Amino acid sequence: MDDDRVFKALADPTRRYLLDRLYERDGRTLTELESALEMTRFGVMKHLKVLEDAGLVVTRRSGREKLHFLNPVPIRLIHNRWIDKYTERQISALADLKTTLEETG
Amino acid sequence: MTTMTQNVTQVYQVFIRATPEQIWEAITTPEFTARYFHGARITVTKDHYISLGPDDAVWGADSVLEFDPPRKLVHGWLSRYDEEMAAEEMSRVTWEIDPQDGGYCSLTVVHDQLEGAPKTAASVAGPGWMFVLSGLKTLLETGAPLAG
Repeated sequence: MDDDRVFKALADPTRRYLLDRLYERDGRTLTELESALEMTRFGVMKHLKVLEDAGLVVTRRSGREKLHFLNPVPIRLIHNRWIDKYTERQISALADLKTTLEETG
Repeated sequence: MTTMTQNVTQVYQVFIRATPEQIWEAITTPEFTARYFHGARITVTKDHYISLGPDDAVWGADSVLEFDPPRKLVHGWLSRYDEEMAAEEMSRVTWEIDPQDGGYCSLTVVHDQLEGAPKTAASVAGPGWMFVLSGLKTLLETGAPLAG
């Protein structure tokens, strides 16, 4: 459903940087994420919004704070859909080559 | 090498083309869970969360804290399928189902209170919940579990 949004979200170095920061430690506030970047608060918010729309970041309220969590599931789905498919074919092509060579050898 | 801090609150979300009732059934009945949850046959009632492995080993037998079909389920989590993790403290799993536009629902899984269960936290992070949730989506949308 949202492959385009995920690819678009991942096509930006600042957004990949934000995902890496959340991978290191999850559940961060905007203020914490902002301090890691040379960018205005508004700029960081815009990037987080794109990540949220793609489902890569999920926010939860904890008391008065809004915490940002990395959601890796869309990346897994992209992997299933776009990576497994092509790598499996390559592996089976190599396996076929091996069989052919060994039969004729 | 960078080490990842084990996150004591983990959040996972997936959008599934199914009704809330279908998702609820898929997460609370053993015939469904066996097809995407590492083969576990899971039965959830308002009183108990029971998970049995393929050989009938008890993988989970924990309390249900909130039972609100077809929207919200909260239960205790102790990884009884592994000796070391079973010795850790109890954590908590929350399932939230929210209808969205276009026949989709968002399914959010929050695994938290993992402070006393670092091995469990590491085990369910990464491929753990991701594998379960992507399998659940595939099962509900295509009727077939993931191969392998």
